[in-house]
Amino acid sequence: MPLIKTPPPHGGKLVDRVVKKRDIAEKMVAGCPTFELKPTTLPDGTPIRHVYREIMSVCYGFFSPVEGSMVQNELERVLNERRLLSEWIFPYPILFDISEEDYKALDVKEGDRLLLMLKGQPFATIDIEEIYKIDPTDVATRTFGTPEKNPEVVREPFNEKHPGYMIYKMHKPVILAGKYTIVNEPKFKEPFDRFWFPPAKCREVIKNEKKWRTVIAHQTRNVPHVGHEMLMKCAAYTGDIEPCHGILVNAIIGAKRRGDYPDEAILEGHEAVNKYGYIKPERHMVTFTLWDMRYGNPIESLLHGVIRQNMGCTHHMFGRDHAAVGEYYDMYATQILWSKGIPSFGFEAPPNEVDYGLKIIPQNMAEFWYCPICQEIAYSESCGHTDAKQKFSGSFLRGMVAEGVFPPRVVMRPEVYKAIVKWWKVYNYPFVNRKYLDMKNKELEIDLPAMEVPKA
Amino acid sequence: MPHYISVILDDERYSKIKGTPLEEKITYLFGGALRSLIVEVPEEKSEKILKAFDKARIDSRGYIEDIPVAFRRAVFEEIAKAKSLDVIDKVLERLDEIVEAAKKEDEYIPPPEIE
Repeated sequence: MPLIKTPPPHGGKLVDRVVKKRDIAEKMVAGCPTFELKPTTLPDGTPIRHVYREIMSVCYGFFSPVEGSMVQNELERVLNERRLLSEWIFPYPILFDISEEDYKALDVKEGDRLLLMLKGQPFATIDIEEIYKIDPTDVATRTFGTPEKNPEVVREPFNEKHPGYMIYKMHKPVILAGKYTIVNEPKFKEPFDRFWFPPAKCREVIKNEKKWRTVIAHQTRNVPHVGHEMLMKCAAYTGDIEPCHGILVNAIIGAKRRGDYPDEAILEGHEAVNKYGYIKPERHMVTFTLWDMRYGNPIESLLHGVIRQNMGCTHHMFGRDHAAVGEYYDMYATQILWSKGIPSFGFEAPPNEVDYGLKIIPQNMAEFWYCPICQEIAYSESCGHTDAKQKFSGSFLRGMVAEGVFPPRVVMRPEVYKAIVKWWKVYNYPFVNRKYLDMKNKELEIDLPAMEVPKA
Repeated sequence: MPHYISVILDDERYSKIKGTPLEEKITYLFGGALRSLIVEVPEEKSEKILKAFDKARIDSRGYIEDIPVAFRRAVFEEIAKAKSLDVIDKVLERLDEIVEAAKKEDEYIPPPEIE
């Protein structure tokens, strides 16, 4: 068996569209029309997406080889076949959307460069290659699929209760397509700054500091309980002639559902796992990606594969109900995709077995529970005492947390719980609520240095 | 068919019922690391609870879940006061007060005092 090595970035090369030299950036933006970025909101005003997060993830290479907002042909290709025009697979539409009113007021045309402002400062540019219109509901429906067109895995029609569907449904109808470039590099606030490892840096740390040859990625949007910890530990036993050298936790940071944990608690909760030795830091590292979660189960898992391969991971663990909400998809949809493919979504074979596909290796995992007969945390496919199982239920744990009950360490590590309480005290609430979403939308994870825009 | 409410006992709560007949009624989970008391709720009373709290639901085990923190706290307070699990009527007598407290829970839940 040949030893597994770090895979190349998806598409062959990491995208790097961040201008670090101020004089070059100033020349680029001189005289450009400007547009202040706006959040995508629900009809009641609840913020559910901020396009700045997508611009960051594109320009720092998380979504390589995507370089910007998709042209119409590329959008159609992604919706029909989950492929870019360059043939490389990619799951989601990445779009810079504006309203008709903003479009009229901007008065831009193809070939123009638009300076995108954030928090009142220059942030990025888009070089407009094409302008077209979309029907947001159609994009939303085709992004996630339907029971008729995708019967292998879609169980219920997507509707207004699904957060990802609503993100696309609430897109504005005018799309400016073209490459993004960050011209004023943001500074992350605490605690985000110490978890910021864009792909190029992450690969460097894996290779030179951690010296990991094999790395398994762990997707998270949750504060870890011991079931998650066991998933990480056990999934990492995969590898080649030895278990994976490293476990890379990559949290998705952005707008989330009410009832999820605040982003800061998620990051520091995972950090506590290595800081307090439950998985030692030599083997475990916490990072994040900016993305307003679409909760797209198999479709989201493809994006996770892209991101984590770009970050330098060799393997990716996938559980049941991966990145899912509700019962729109089969609970095994992600595992079906990565074990045999989903033809109706363009995959006759798993995404790592098709041309222009991913190189990251999936590790499909079942469930962990506490077995009072084995007297240990058991793997569902090994333990024969199913009737006696005591599950790590998320709603049970959330109930315990909300009540202020200190969870036993066999359920949640005390240091992880303390991370929840730390941010609970900051926000006066243990979970994401409307107030948190509004605050987060206003403050974001970053600040921008002041930058003058020279006149043309 | 009755439904159930599980009341988790952390050390602080446990200290309030230690040495009482309730101790024998504790259910142990996760190798004894988690203690809980199970309160039986007759069906007509569980309907009243479901009606009062729109997020509340009966799970596949027959447990009433997703009820407000204020409700669970009230259940424990009544248990500790009566030293009995037969408290659901007492809790329901406080329903208006609990509903009012629960309304504020979308905005604020007091954090626990831990070091």
